[in-house]
Amino acid sequence: MQIDIPFIFTALTEIFKALPLTMIITLVPLMIGFLIGIGITLIRIRKVKGIYRLANFYVSFLRGTPALMHIMLIYLGLPLLIDKMAETFHWSIQSTSIPILLFVLMALSLTAGAYMSEIIRAGILAVDQGQLEAAESIGMTGFQAMRRIVFPQAIAISLPNLCNIFIGFLHTSSIAFIVSQKELTGAANIVASNNLKFLEAYIAAALIYWGLTIISEKVTALLEKRVTVYNRGGVA
Amino acid sequence: MIQLRNIQKSFGNQLVLKGIDLTVNKGEVVSILGPSGSGKTTLLRCINFLERPNEGQVIVDDFKVNSKQANKKEILTLRKKTAMVFQQYNLFKHKTVIENVMEGLIIVQKQPKETARKLAMEVIEKVGLTEKANAYPVQLSGGQQQRVGIARALALNPEVILLDEPTSALDPELVFEVLEVIKRIADEGITMIIVTHEVSFAKDVSDYIVFMDQGEVVEEGIPTVIFNNPKEERTKRFFKRINREEDNLESNLTNAI
Ligand SMILES: Nc1ncnc2c1ncn2[C@@H]1O[C@H](COP(=O)(O)OP(=O)(O)OP(=O)(O)O)[C@@H](O)[C@H]1O
Ligand SMILES: [Mg+2]
Repeated sequence: MQIDIPFIFTALTEIFKALPLTMIITLVPLMIGFLIGIGITLIRIRKVKGIYRLANFYVSFLRGTPALMHIMLIYLGLPLLIDKMAETFHWSIQSTSIPILLFVLMALSLTAGAYMSEIIRAGILAVDQGQLEAAESIGMTGFQAMRRIVFPQAIAISLPNLCNIFIGFLHTSSIAFIVSQKELTGAANIVASNNLKFLEAYIAAALIYWGLTIISEKVTALLEKRVTVYNRGGVA
Repeated sequence: MIQLRNIQKSFGNQLVLKGIDLTVNKGEVVSILGPSGSGKTTLLRCINFLERPNEGQVIVDDFKVNSKQANKKEILTLRKKTAMVFQQYNLFKHKTVIENVMEGLIIVQKQPKETARKLAMEVIEKVGLTEKANAYPVQLSGGQQQRVGIARALALNPEVILLDEPTSALDPELVFEVLEVIKRIADEGITMIIVTHEVSFAKDVSDYIVFMDQGEVVEEGIPTVIFNNPKEERTKRFFKRINREEDNLESNLTNAI
């Protein structure tokens, strides 16, 4: 078997068209997961009665199982539930009319929420307690102190981890091809089987992922410089 | 006027404050002295409910807070009437000097930004940091950071400023500049309660001295009486030890030279 190097470039341009879907499958779950993560973190840090254990279970289970399982469980399980509900309550929706992409986004949002909550929690715990007390001592409410003092610093501290989770989810988004999403990996699959050039197509896809990863590392480095201005600057 | 009535506080089953009473008149500076672990910090933190007392009342002006019934709103109101200067400064690290000082004015007192900025600049000038107004805390020396801490408290124009060992985290050569600032605002008639180990400073700046040991007020009174004629055995021993430590320090220095 011979490797067809020019075809890698043909494949590259073809596969690259699937980039928007990969971005959607990466970014939407991360954004929703960020909000879930904040909620879960607050519940866990404040030890809110009743739901505190549930939050712990959520984080433990989702971090303890592969994202592929989350997609499968939601993709296979949720339609059953929806159809059952529709039957009992006489709704007019049918699970088959819901785009599969929506299930993927839901599943990965839940995955992201669990990872985000760990990152945000570590960030919040890294901000020294003294600043929170200082904020309270001048009469800020707990919420104000959180939003104005603790949270901005927690995010700055978490930036490297947030970058890592972005890269992680960029790569994880590739498993969506299992439920026939035409994102980068799905597109590579199609290009490969249409032309019977598998290795070339996957090399092309790998190059795209790698390029995206390098770009996001660079962007993070820039962001870090901006966000942590207050931590640098000469005399300590 | 600040009044503490029968403040009691325990951690677990250790009773750390055994019923403290204290009255501080407007414009007075009260220093709290006492050996390590005697409950000075805890007392100060009970005044603004950073620690909730198990028992007792805090009264600022005519606003009274009962430790047992106090709800969130009352505690917030109490905290708006007080301000605190911390041993470790506790500046907001992601904010510049002026932003640190403006934060409470804007977020808590809801002052318009421009008014807040003007007020903040005035206070920053008072602590001698006009040139550093746009610096971040990491860019400042410990002494400068503590002066920002004082400015942040002062800007809020509270009924009382609580200072917990404001100079004990500082290098010796930086202590003076901070004490000087405290002295200056004391002379302006700001009410202060200071926990300190700087005996000669306390002598100099205070209208009233409280000596604590093991969660109790052992002795209190005007500085000349407490320092020159302490009645209680524990007070005498404490001053004797402090004097000896200072002597040792001096003789060590002399030997070193
Ligand atoms: N959060 C806490 N949990 C448990 N015990 C505490 C806590 N804070 C203080 N204590 C205990 O309460 C006692 C009084 O402590 P406090 O810090 O008020 O003393 P202090 O007079 O300020 O001492 P120092 O001069 O060393 O600062 C000590 O025995 C201390 O161990
Ligand atoms: Mg102390």
